[in-house]
Amino acid sequence: MSKIEVNITVNGAKHRLEVGPKERLIDTLRERLHLTGTKEGCGVGECGACTVILDGEAVHSCLILTAQVDGSEVLTVEGLEVDGRLHPLQEAFIQHHAIQCGFCTPGMLMSAKALLDKNPNPTREEIKTAIEGNLCRCTGYEQIIEAIESAANELQAASH
Amino acid sequence: MFSTVNKPVERIDAYEKVTGRAKYGADLQFAGMLYGKVLRARYPSAKIKKINVERARSLPGVWAVMTAEDVPCNEIGVIIQDQQILAKERVYYIGDGIAMVAAESLETAARALEAIEVEYEEIPGVFCPIEAKNESPIHPDRRDNEIIHHKLRKGDVNKGFADSDVILNREYDTQFVEHGYLEPEAVVAVPHENGSLVTVYGSVQNIFATRDAVARCLKAGLSEIRIVQNHIGGSFGGKDEVVSSMACRAAILALKTNRPVKMVNTREESIVESYKRHPYKMKYKVGATKDGRLSAMEIEVVADGGAYACQTPFVPWRSVVQATGPYEVPHVKTDTYGYYTNNVYTGAMRGYGSPQVIFANESLMDELAQELGLSPLEIRMKNILRNGSVTASGQKLDRHEVSLAEVIEKAAKAIDFEEKYKRYSKPQSGDTRRGIGMAISYRGCSLGAEAVDAAGAVLSIQKDGSVYLYSGLAENGQGLKTVFCQIAAEELGVGMKHVTFLEANTLISPDSGSTVASRSTLVGGNAVLNAARRAKDALSKFVADQFGLSSSDLVFEDDYLFTLDGKKLISFAEAANKAFWAGVQLSHVGWYVAPSIHWDEEAGKGNPYFTYVYACQMAEVEVDMGTGEVTVLNMAAAHDVGRAINPEMLKGQIYGGVMMGLGYGILEEVEIDEGYILNLNFDNYLMPTSKDMPTIIPIIVENPDPDGPYGAKSIGEPTLELGAAAIANAIAQATGKRIRSLPLNLERVLLGYPLKKGRGKK
Amino acid sequence: MIDYEFIKARSLKEALDFLGNYEDVKAIAGGTDLIVDIRKENVRAKGFKRLLDISGLKELEFIEKERDRVVLGALLTHTSLIESPIIEQHFPLLASAAKTIGSPQIRNRGTIGGNINNASPAADLLPPLIALKAQVKLCSVRGERTMSLEEFLAGPYKTNRQSDELMTEVHIPLVNEDYLGNFQKIGRRKAMNIARLNLAILLGINDGTIFDPRVVPGAATAYPIRFGKVEEAISGKDIKDIDPVEIGELASEEMISFTGVRWSTPYKRVALASLVKRALESIFQEAKVDE
Ligand SMILES: Cc1cc2nc3c(=O)[nH]c(=O)nc-3n(C[C@H](O)[C@H](O)[C@H](O)COP(=O)(O)OP(=O)(O)OC[C@H]3O[C@@H](n4cnc5c(N)ncnc54)[C@H](O)[C@@H]3O)c2cc1C
Ligand code: FES
Ligand code: FES
Repeated sequence: MSKIEVNITVNGAKHRLEVGPKERLIDTLRERLHLTGTKEGCGVGECGACTVILDGEAVHSCLILTAQVDGSEVLTVEGLEVDGRLHPLQEAFIQHHAIQCGFCTPGMLMSAKALLDKNPNPTREEIKTAIEGNLCRCTGYEQIIEAIESAANELQAASH
Repeated sequence: MFSTVNKPVERIDAYEKVTGRAKYGADLQFAGMLYGKVLRARYPSAKIKKINVERARSLPGVWAVMTAEDVPCNEIGVIIQDQQILAKERVYYIGDGIAMVAAESLETAARALEAIEVEYEEIPGVFCPIEAKNESPIHPDRRDNEIIHHKLRKGDVNKGFADSDVILNREYDTQFVEHGYLEPEAVVAVPHENGSLVTVYGSVQNIFATRDAVARCLKAGLSEIRIVQNHIGGSFGGKDEVVSSMACRAAILALKTNRPVKMVNTREESIVESYKRHPYKMKYKVGATKDGRLSAMEIEVVADGGAYACQTPFVPWRSVVQATGPYEVPHVKTDTYGYYTNNVYTGAMRGYGSPQVIFANESLMDELAQELGLSPLEIRMKNILRNGSVTASGQKLDRHEVSLAEVIEKAAKAIDFEEKYKRYSKPQSGDTRRGIGMAISYRGCSLGAEAVDAAGAVLSIQKDGSVYLYSGLAENGQGLKTVFCQIAAEELGVGMKHVTFLEANTLISPDSGSTVASRSTLVGGNAVLNAARRAKDALSKFVADQFGLSSSDLVFEDDYLFTLDGKKLISFAEAANKAFWAGVQLSHVGWYVAPSIHWDEEAGKGNPYFTYVYACQMAEVEVDMGTGEVTVLNMAAAHDVGRAINPEMLKGQIYGGVMMGLGYGILEEVEIDEGYILNLNFDNYLMPTSKDMPTIIPIIVENPDPDGPYGAKSIGEPTLELGAAAIANAIAQATGKRIRSLPLNLERVLLGYPLKKGRGKK
Repeated sequence: MIDYEFIKARSLKEALDFLGNYEDVKAIAGGTDLIVDIRKENVRAKGFKRLLDISGLKELEFIEKERDRVVLGALLTHTSLIESPIIEQHFPLLASAAKTIGSPQIRNRGTIGGNINNASPAADLLPPLIALKAQVKLCSVRGERTMSLEEFLAGPYKTNRQSDELMTEVHIPLVNEDYLGNFQKIGRRKAMNIARLNLAILLGINDGTIFDPRVVPGAATAYPIRFGKVEEAISGKDIKDIDPVEIGELASEEMISFTGVRWSTPYKRVALASLVKRALESIFQEAKVDE
C-alpha cells in the first residue's frame, strides 16, 4: 500500500509523517507520536473519548484519516498544560471531582476547551450540548458540568 | 472532628488523569511487543469439526496461531470451572474464542484471523432460561441446565395468604445489560519478567481472581504469576472473568512467542464477548391486609446465566436475600434459580442481583398501594424495616441504625414528593403527562455469608515521614485509592500529600479477595485502618519513651505529635526519622476479617450480612403520550452511607449511579436474538448522555456503623439499584399504565409492549 | 478487510478528473458515515479501490445568497449551517434539523453533501431540504447537471449520482415570509440520536389559508418523500378548520400505504401521527402570533 506524506502540527510540534491509507488520526497520535492521552472507546464516533481539537474544532480522531489532515493543527490533552501549568479546565476537573475512572476525561477536556474557545461564557445548557457527544459512564456528568462552569468563570476573571 | 476523613479532598490520581499521563492497559508499550487477536465464533451453538490454521501461520509477521489444543488447562472460573479459554469441541455462545494469533501488527493479526478456516456444525441452542429448565443440558457433562437454586423460608406463606384481604400476582422481567465501561478490556502479558513466569498488566478489576485463572490455565504456581493493575477505565463489576480469560490468552501467547503480547478488545469484541447483567423473569405473589400491612410474599426468580456459570451461583443469592424489599413480611417463600443457556454469559455488574428484584418489588408495592387506595409513601411507611425488625431471612437488625424512615423523609422533602404526587394524581390533559415515583432498598454490605470476607493492607512509614500504602483491593475508578489514603492520613495525623498509594500487584499485595460488593471502604478500609494503627502504635511507643510519656498521652495531628493538652512534641517526620534509626518497625501489615455471619442453605435462613445500607430514590418524569418519549426531570437520591469518607466523591458515586439506573430504566438493553447479539457498539447500545441527565439531588445520610472504618459502610452499588424502579413508578403514575418489563423504551411506553426487529438474515 | 488507495484532491478539477479516469472511486468528505461503514465492512462501503479525499476542497465550503435562492457548497458542515446568519434568517427549518445531528464533533465534520449522498432513510437534512424544494448540482468531466433532491434520491442509501459525478452544490429557492416551517425528531435519548422518525413541514399561510404545503417525514418510508395526500388534505384550507389530530392520522395511513405493515409499524403509526399533529400545532401557533 502506498504511503502518503502528511505534515501536521501536534501540540505545537511539527511532524512530517508517512502514513498508510487506513491510518486514523487516533492511531497516529497514540501509536506513532506516543500521545496516549487520547483514548479509544468505540471507534465509531459515539463515545467521544478520542476527541481532539483539529484546527480549532472538536472532532473525533477515530473518524478522521490522518491522510486527510495534511497541513492541520491538532491539540490533544497533552497540549493543555503549558510550561508545567495546568489549564484552568484541568484544575477545575480536579477540584470538582469531575473524574472517576478518567477514561472519558481527555475527550471531555477537549470538548470543553473547544466550547470555551468559541463561547467563553456558556450557559449550563450550552455546556451540556458541548459534551453531549462525550459519554461518561462513571460520573453522571454533574461534576463535569460544574467544573466547566467554574473554569469558564476562572478564565473570564483572568481576562478582565 | 476529623482532619482528612469526611472531607472532599482531591483525588490522588486526578493529576495523572487530567494530563493524559495516566496509563491504561492499551497505552502500554514494551520492546518487541506483539499484538494478540482472537477469532470468535460464528454461531452461538455449534460443534467445531475442523480448524485449519496453516494459512494463517504462514503469513509473514505472524508469530503464533493457537487453538484450545495449545492451552494447558482450558477451563477457568471463580466458582465453577466451565469457562473455555478457547472453544474446544463446542461453541457455547457467540462470544466464544475459537483461535488466537500473535502478530507484529494489528493489521497482520487481523489478516491472520481472516485466514483461519473453521468448519462448524450448528446445533440447536437453548435461548430461554425457562425452557432451559427442561431442555437437555448444553454442557454435556452436566445433569441438567440448572446452575443454582437458592431458597429463603420464613413462617408459613399459606397461612399468610389465608390471612390476607388482598392478594396480587404479578410477573416482571428485566433485560440483558452491558456494563458500558468506557475503556474496552486491555492487557499486556510479559514473559519471564523479574522472577515471574509471566506478568500481566492491564485493566483488571480483581487481580487475585485473574491471577488464579492464569495460574490454573498455565498449570503454574500462584507465586509465579504477577498481575499488575493499571489505571482502569471503569469496570462496574465487568472486568473480572472476561479479563481473566483475556489475560490467560495473552499469557499463553507471550510464553509461546517469548515476546510481550498486547490484547485490546474493540468495542464490538467487548460487547460480543463480555458477560452482562442477568436478565430476570420474576413471579411475585403478595398478600396484605385491608389496612395495608404485608402478610405474605411468595417469589420465584429465574436468571439467565448464559453459557458459563461465572457469578451465577452467587448473584441470585443476593436476590434471594433481598427479594421482598426492605419490608417486614411475616411469611416469605422465595426461590431463585439460574440456568445455563446459549446466550452470552452473565455475571457481576454493579448491583449484583439487586436492581432486578428492586424493580419488581418496588413496582409491586405501588401496585398494591393502588389496590388498597394508599399512597406509595403510606404503604411503605406501614411496612418498612425499623430498628429491631426481623428481615425476611430472619435476621434481627439491632447492630446499626435502620434508617429507612429517615432516607424516605429526606428524599421526599427534597423533591416535594407528597405535593407532586397529589398534583399528578389528578387528571392531566395535553400531550405530555407528569408523574412521580419512588423506590427504597436495603442492601447487605460486602460479600455476605457465602464467602470469606477478609482483606489486608500494607503501610510503611519512611524515614522522612512520608508514607506508602498498598492494599489487596484495587482501584476501579471509584476512588478507592483516595479513600484509603484518607483513612491512613487521618489515623497518622499527616497530610494527604505525604501518603502514596501503590498499584495492586499480586506478587506484593496481600490477597484480599475481590474488589466487589461495595466492600472496599468497609472491609479494605478497616484493613488500612488496622495497618495505620499498628504503625502508629510502634511510633507512639517509641516517641512516648523518648519523652517519658505513655503512648496514650500522644495525639497525632497536622504532621505533628502533641500531648493531650496540646503541647507540640515533635514533627511526624522527625519522629519517623528517629524511630527508623532506632530500628523501630515502621512497615506493617493490616488485616481485617468481617464479623461472622451465617447462612443455612438448606433451611433458607440466617444472618447473611453483618450490616446493611438503606436508600430511597425518587423520580419525577414527563411522558409524551403521543410518542412514548420519557424525560426524567428530577431525581432525589438519599443514601445512608454510615460515614462519608469523602463527600464529594460520594456525590460522584450518586450522580453516576443514578444515571446508570436511568439507563437501565428507560434506555439500555443488549438485544439478543437466538443467541446473536444485535447491538455491538455504542451506536446501537445507547447509554445516557449529558442531555439525558435530570436534576439530581444527592442526599447523604450518616448514621455511623459500629463495624465500619469511622463508621463508613458502602455506596457504590446502592446508588444504581433503585433508579429504574423509581422511574417505572413515576411513568406508571403519569400514563396510568403499568409496564412490568425493562427498559421502558419508546415502544413499551407508547404501546405497552416492545417491538423486535430481529437479526434478519445472517 | 476493506483495502484501498488514498488520493487527496487538491482542486475540484483534479477531483473530477480522477473520478472520470477511474470507475472504482469513493469520495470521502467528513467521513462520519463512510469511516464507520468501512470499519463495519458494510456492503455500502464495499466495491471501491480508491478513496478520493475531497474534504480539503475549500471551494465547496461556501454559502451565497443570490436573488431568488441560496447556494450552499456541498462541503459545508452541519456546524457551519447552524452558525450561518443566512440560514438562520431564511431557512430556520434547516438549521433546526442540523442542530439535532449527532454531537458537536459530528456536526463539525459531517457535511451536507455527505448527508445527502449517503441517503440514509433517517438522514436529518433530507426532509427539510425536500420540503424546501432543494436542487442539487452534480459535476463531472462530462459537464454538470442540476436536479431536484426529490429526483436525486432513488431509494434507501441509493441516489441517481453517476459514478464519475461529484455533488458540488445545493440550491435552495428563497421563500417569502408567508412560509412557516417546523422540524420534529424522535430519538431514543436526548442527544446523539439517529431518528426513529423525523419530519419537516413547510406551509405557506396567507390570511390563515394554507397554500403550497410540503410535508416530508423521514425514517417513515424507504426514503424520505413528500406525503401528497396529507398535503392535498390541508391545501387551501383555513388553519382554523384543520384538525391536526386528523391530519396526523392521515399521515400514518399514507405511510402505511407506502410501506405496508412492518415490524416497526405499530409504533410509527402512532408516533408519526403525533409528530404531524405537533408540527402543525406549532406552525399554527406561530401563524397566529404573526397575525
Ligand atoms: C456518531 C454519529 C452520529 C450521527 N448522527 C446523525 C444524525 O443525528 N443525523 C443524521 O442525519 N446523520 C447522522 N450521522 C451521519 C453523518 O454524520 C451525516 O450523514 C453526515 O452528514 C455525513 O457527512 P460526511 O461528510 O461525514 O459524509 P462521508 O462519510 O464523507 O460520506 C458519506 C457518503 O456520501 C458520499 N459523499 C460525500 N460527499 C459527497 C459529495 N460532495 N458528492 C458525492 N458524494 C459524496 C461519500 O462517498 C459517502 O458515500 C451520524 C454519524 C455518526 C458517526
Ligand atoms: S473512540 Fe472515537 S468516538 Fe469513541
Ligand atoms: S470518569 Fe469514567 S467514563 Fe467518565
